[in-house]
Amino acid sequence: MIFGNAQASSWDSVSKAQEKSFFDFEFITWMAWKWQTASFFIFIAICITIMIIWEKKDPGGNPRKGVLTLNTTRGDRLFVSLLSAAFIHLAWIGLTDFNLWFATLISSIFAIFVFRYV
Amino acid sequence: MNKTINQKAWFFVVPVFVLVAFNAVIPLMTVVNYSFQETFGNNVFMWEGTRWFKQILQSERFHAALGRQFLFTGIILVIQIPLGIAIALSMPKEGPWVSVCLVLMSMPLLIPWNVVGAMWNIFALPEIGFLGHTLNGLGFDYNFTQQIGDAWFTTILMDVWHWTSLVVLLSYAGLMSIQPAYYQAAEIDGASRWSVFRYIELPKMKKVLTIAILLRFMDSFMIYTEPFVLTGGGPGNATAFLSIDLVKMALGQFDLGPAAAMSLIYFFIVLLVCWVFYNLMMKNEEQS
Repeated sequence: MIFGNAQASSWDSVSKAQEKSFFDFEFITWMAWKWQTASFFIFIAICITIMIIWEKKDPGGNPRKGVLTLNTTRGDRLFVSLLSAAFIHLAWIGLTDFNLWFATLISSIFAIFVFRYV
Repeated sequence: MNKTINQKAWFFVVPVFVLVAFNAVIPLMTVVNYSFQETFGNNVFMWEGTRWFKQILQSERFHAALGRQFLFTGIILVIQIPLGIAIALSMPKEGPWVSVCLVLMSMPLLIPWNVVGAMWNIFALPEIGFLGHTLNGLGFDYNFTQQIGDAWFTTILMDVWHWTSLVVLLSYAGLMSIQPAYYQAAEIDGASRWSVFRYIELPKMKKVLTIAILLRFMDSFMIYTEPFVLTGGGPGNATAFLSIDLVKMALGQFDLGPAAAMSLIYFFIVLLVCWVFYNLMMKNEEQS
């Protein structure tokens, strides 16, 4: 960084800068990646890839009218599953103190329900 | 006929893809990352797990901001939609006055949002502003910088002034698309003005009204600039809607973690509402 020295005088006395590893250049550090969040986005990417492969194998998105009396395709069902998973997790965090994996379990079961019946 | 398969067209998508990546995907990913971490600057981050989400979901401050936001959005929808329909119904259907009305109606929509805020701020100042001075002269104790009710009144009035035109224009477009034959049939049957509205005009406007409600809901739910310039969220926190509170937390207090968690929750609410409205619109389309 150009202003590295100017910053060092004030901040490095507070917390010593860590030794830079290969990915520690300024472009990426501000995004603050951790393996947990990275694996979440990898999961989303895998979901989308699976949807693409599924669409190639069985084109048309399997549209139908489900229990919500809405016309849904596979993509809609994935969206509904992911959005409800978000709300299930938020409700779990906000209302209970139990392990968050239970919420993940409930969301997965709900996602199966959505893909079958919605 | 055989279609030639030419995948080169995908290259035309690249600019959009890059743009969306840089202004939406990467910032959104960063917000997700920040919402699980604590930082004091200098790109040093500490993992906090779901702590910020718990803090936000259980905080009085967030509940209050969310409540204010829904109240504001509810009030402006209840005012703007009927008012917009009423104005559209009373606008001339033909003749030179059509253009005059349309231009007058679209004027407020053309003004930049911070200018609207600044205009109304000056307009409503209790000492020198036209509105504030007049109200005080008439014997009302009006001061939007100090009284909560007055601040809400001014903010809502400003939003009604700014955005009712959108509802008017959409409703007017819906009204103009009704064939004269419907009105003639209603006249032959001796239908009252109310029946004409209830059974001809309203059903025909249903589609545009759904869009109007969606647009007004979204715009007012994400409103920032106008109340920021007008009241700055004050007095106290009385008009600090979600986005104003969010900016206060993120930039004022530099609480990036809680602010990121809050913006994600905000984002999910907006997504949910969008999805509901989208499906309502699709259902309308299906029926017609």
